[in-house]
Amino acid sequence: MISNFLRSPKWIDVENWPISWEIGGTSWFPFLESIHVIAAAMVVGSILMVDLRLLGLAAKRYPITTLSKELVPWSTGAFVIATITGIGMFITRAASHVLNPAFQWKIFLLVLAGANMAYFHFKMYKQVADWDTSDTTPTQVKLIGSASLFLWAGVMLAGRWVGHIV
Amino acid sequence: MPEFFTNIGTLISGSFLQDGALWTLTNVPGFPPIIQSVHILGIAVVMGSVVMLDLRILGLAVPSQKISEMIERLMPFMWWALASNFVSGAFFLFGRPNRYFNNPVFGWKVSFLIPAILIALFFHIMSRTEESYWELNSTRLWAARGIAIVSLGLWVMVAMAGRWIAYAEYLYFPA
Repeated sequence: MISNFLRSPKWIDVENWPISWEIGGTSWFPFLESIHVIAAAMVVGSILMVDLRLLGLAAKRYPITTLSKELVPWSTGAFVIATITGIGMFITRAASHVLNPAFQWKIFLLVLAGANMAYFHFKMYKQVADWDTSDTTPTQVKLIGSASLFLWAGVMLAGRWVGHIV
Repeated sequence: MPEFFTNIGTLISGSFLQDGALWTLTNVPGFPPIIQSVHILGIAVVMGSVVMLDLRILGLAVPSQKISEMIERLMPFMWWALASNFVSGAFFLFGRPNRYFNNPVFGWKVSFLIPAILIALFFHIMSRTEESYWELNSTRLWAARGIAIVSLGLWVMVAMAGRWIAYAEYLYFPA
């Protein structure tokens, strides 16, 4: 079923949308790509600060709730920009991207990174008061923080690899 | 392009530096995308450190953090990221020197990067001369805001120009 979805001729139709041609054939593509890099770097740069705090490695003077309240909106905003610019680039070569192993890895790692964040936010955050201001956090929180670091680095690596396969 | 710039390209071209970089790029499996990702991770650290500091000075981000404390805490991250990016970037620079030293977009990148680094250095050095240097009075704070907006623009342009090195023909030989 997933193979049919990935091999669907609909992806070719996407590539043939007028907007796909407009982006792919003009300097819109490198423009979107450079915005994508800056937004992605902002996503990782702001999440990194929170992750290092969860690991007890940096910014220990600030409560975890304060850091995440002030930084996560930047991650979210940058993520929205990265998604819009990413879709803009994706539609220019949709059919080959969906079959590109690097692109598939990127989406898979993104889903894992999202699940990791959701687990932290909806499950662990209920007990945040217990370790909000302390230097060391429970092992589970540290695991989530380091998983986040590796997953986002993996998303970047897979994303960069997409261009080496297409 | 200034002549000394293209001369650097000629100097590296065919030297052991180029041989070493090309050998690594071709023989280590997956090296080009891996080292490019390391380079982008470095940019992410620049975003999380000096760009966040600029946004804080401009009153746009992390209001609970103190400017002088941020400088002390974040600048070391930024300097390490910069060193790392010099190394990761060098592989590509040495591998195909003429692609960079004859490329006006790389020239743009360098001319944005140098003042951006000098500003970061200036922020860092001045904040060490006096406690809360940049927040001491409104003149200092307004000066910091003026510098921060320039710094922010420069770092965005450094990253932009970096990506456009590969698309120089879009800018210089338009359809």
